[in-house]
Amino acid sequence: MSNSTVDLYRYPEELKEEFITTEDINFRDGSKASAEEIWHFMTVEAPVRYPHAFTKSSYYHRQLSRDIHLPSSIKHNYLFLTMKDRIENSRRNGTPVIFVQGGQSVDPYYAAGAIALRPASVGLWASGRHEGNTMVGEEVRRMDEKEKAYRAISFEACQTAGYEHIQEGDLPVDMLAPFTCLRCSDVSYGVEAHRHGKKPVNLFLGDFPLDHQKDKPWAIDYFAHNLHRLTKEIGDMAGHVVTDEALRAEIRLHNAGRRLALDTADAWWSADAPPTNGSDRRAIFQMGGMEMHGDPTASLTVLKEANRYIRERVKRGVKGNGVQDNPGRIFVCGSCVFPNEFRTEEAGGVIVGNDNHWSDISTLVEEEGDPYYNLSKAILSYPYEQDIETRAAWTIQEIRKSRAHGVLFLYNWGCNTQSAIARMLVDIIKRETSLPTLIIEHEFGASQSEQLQNRVNAFVEMVRP
Amino acid sequence: MALTTVHKIRDRVEKRPLELAAAREKGAKVVGWLSYAIPEEVITALGLIPIRIGTGGDTRLVEIGSRYISTKNCVFVREAVGLFAENKDPYIVNSDLVAFDAACLQLFRTAEVVEHYFKVNTLVLGVPRNFYWPEAKEYFWHELEHFVGKLEELAGVKLDPKRLAASIELYNGIRESIKELYRYQAGNNPLITWSQTYDVIHAGYYLDRAEYAALLRELLAELKDKQGEPVISHTYGEARIFLSGSVIPPKDHKLIDIIEQVGGRIVGDDLWSGLVPHLNVEIKEPTVKGIAYAYLSRVPHAALPYLDLKTDERLKNLKGLIGAFHAQGVINHTLRYCDPFTFKAGETKEQLKQIGIPMLEIHTEYAGSDFEAIRTRVEAFVEMLRNLDYQEAV
Repeated sequence: MSNSTVDLYRYPEELKEEFITTEDINFRDGSKASAEEIWHFMTVEAPVRYPHAFTKSSYYHRQLSRDIHLPSSIKHNYLFLTMKDRIENSRRNGTPVIFVQGGQSVDPYYAAGAIALRPASVGLWASGRHEGNTMVGEEVRRMDEKEKAYRAISFEACQTAGYEHIQEGDLPVDMLAPFTCLRCSDVSYGVEAHRHGKKPVNLFLGDFPLDHQKDKPWAIDYFAHNLHRLTKEIGDMAGHVVTDEALRAEIRLHNAGRRLALDTADAWWSADAPPTNGSDRRAIFQMGGMEMHGDPTASLTVLKEANRYIRERVKRGVKGNGVQDNPGRIFVCGSCVFPNEFRTEEAGGVIVGNDNHWSDISTLVEEEGDPYYNLSKAILSYPYEQDIETRAAWTIQEIRKSRAHGVLFLYNWGCNTQSAIARMLVDIIKRETSLPTLIIEHEFGASQSEQLQNRVNAFVEMVRP
Repeated sequence: MALTTVHKIRDRVEKRPLELAAAREKGAKVVGWLSYAIPEEVITALGLIPIRIGTGGDTRLVEIGSRYISTKNCVFVREAVGLFAENKDPYIVNSDLVAFDAACLQLFRTAEVVEHYFKVNTLVLGVPRNFYWPEAKEYFWHELEHFVGKLEELAGVKLDPKRLAASIELYNGIRESIKELYRYQAGNNPLITWSQTYDVIHAGYYLDRAEYAALLRELLAELKDKQGEPVISHTYGEARIFLSGSVIPPKDHKLIDIIEQVGGRIVGDDLWSGLVPHLNVEIKEPTVKGIAYAYLSRVPHAALPYLDLKTDERLKNLKGLIGAFHAQGVINHTLRYCDPFTFKAGETKEQLKQIGIPMLEIHTEYAGSDFEAIRTRVEAFVEMLRNLDYQEAV
């Protein structure tokens, strides 16, 4: 289907006047994007370059949120759709780009002068290099690219460490340096696979030690060594020495994001009616990780604005766009995947929280003292990465805060680690909370399988008050 | 010609469960273990009885295990969980503690699952992934100290340096014997096959280690007497196959039987359920530190990623063993959802191709539904290897 024949969603022109009075986005390099520039991009340029994002089909889980009175929603999507332009511009100015793992803090990468992109962000960057795709075209492109990685690595892979973009495509990532968190076994082997790829790329593994790691001083020391080596290697590549003070400053900046996300979550969860839809909630909470846009300063700017709007909505009892009255509140656990939030809302549900990408955000780093040791200690204490019973205790606490009516555990195809713990984690949650639970296997794809969504919708119907 | 020591070993293994139960009644403690980096030297030195547990090939146990772990975990792991769920395997029943390590993430999680559902007393040893770094060796040393401390609590005694030195000597002897045994099975006109050798290795999972060491020496003496010094070379018409990849535990005979049924001759392996744990263990000092450093310096398990293809010791070892055993082709056995080996299968094939060694990947589970499909592929591979001889002769 050609772009000219597709009926695209457009932000209503009458919104412009209100939107352009909202805040600019400040970037790490000191530049800014005014609200007017953002509006222009999102209404004129982006629909032509990235029509898939403007699809009207709720089957596309990457479609734009329709919550047009929430400026942070439009700005978050602006940052997503300008990812390719911004990253490539930064690279031209000498900033290396590093592939990292999802759900890990990125303070040391930025302190060392790099941009850290998790797998989804690398995918967004790659997507930005293919303009003019409709939803179907984008979906086919993504699946085609993933297939290349399956062929080069294994069809049982979930996480392929950007192999399809870097080795089979032309994405100029400078280094792959994720933490080998136990959340995902694939990422280590995905990084290792690059050693036989067509293109040389710097490789590094931040070796996350396992088994009660947060309580073992030698494990904390070992991971601190990993962080030292990491910043040294990136610093060498970026051409500067990473000082302890630079790392402390970065920790302070990222702690600000983490604190703001926690505050925003408390406000969101306290509301009788969800103040945003699930898609916007996820984006706002996740901004506290300061990694999703490839620019922590920009993420923090948007998160600050979002926090004010959420607090105001909670005060006024405003409900998020697309959310039905008395929705079934669902908490999602498991792999780094989600059901389609828009279709879940059509079925009368709303996703109110998740464990993945929240564990690292909810872990603050001590700001005084040895920054490597402090970071190591914090990272090794991520609740999502603990033994299953400890993780379950934390998850139950977050479920209670979110006032969920039911718990979904999704594990992605090929995710051996999350699938291994699904049954036990869910059994503990069920025993302690008496909430209904459901485990579902998820597969990649922009428009997810009807079978998966049917099961989610049936679950929503069951738990909805 | 039958080897009497092989029969003797088989007989001793059959009696072992009752012996273990009797030993426990007299106060002995048994440490079962799964995984790759558990040093039996310290278990034995503490007066504990080490038993390597885990079996394969039983789809019923796999199904039982899947109720507690997931169907997206490898069958070895699922069967292990099934063994604990059923609690009938004599070695599971008689284990006072079960040790795991964190090399394979699925086995690492298995420890928690069996502890939670079946109240198994478990102990985990962390294993670094950047194993070649000095800092990683230091970390592993501390992990092993911690691990030994927990074993000391179970044993009720402290690790005695002299007993540790004696234990290391015992295991060094076992390792040397097994390496020697592999030379015999790979030799011309052997009296012992690879699959018999493999059974002998698995006997070492269960038997008293001092007795096992003595039986190995007896077997080698018998072989030397009846077969003479082994000469390893390739004879015309043979299809000499090297087996690599995921674990093939006791009772998993599917692929081995197929290879032998279609006329292939297995002459070596780099399996962690076979030869590899016995290679390159150089303990430079009889201490926990010495053992930690030696274990991390062994041929690395595929679960530990390594980022430089050119200096990968696992591949170097594989190529070296293929040469030493005069293998003509490799069958790479990967279990479904066994990422460490599956992710590297294509790369390994490419690496072997560069030295003129063909590789067949067999990706399978324990179910019999793919038996004929595997047989067809293995038969074609064996035929191809034989044709290489023919082509060379022509």
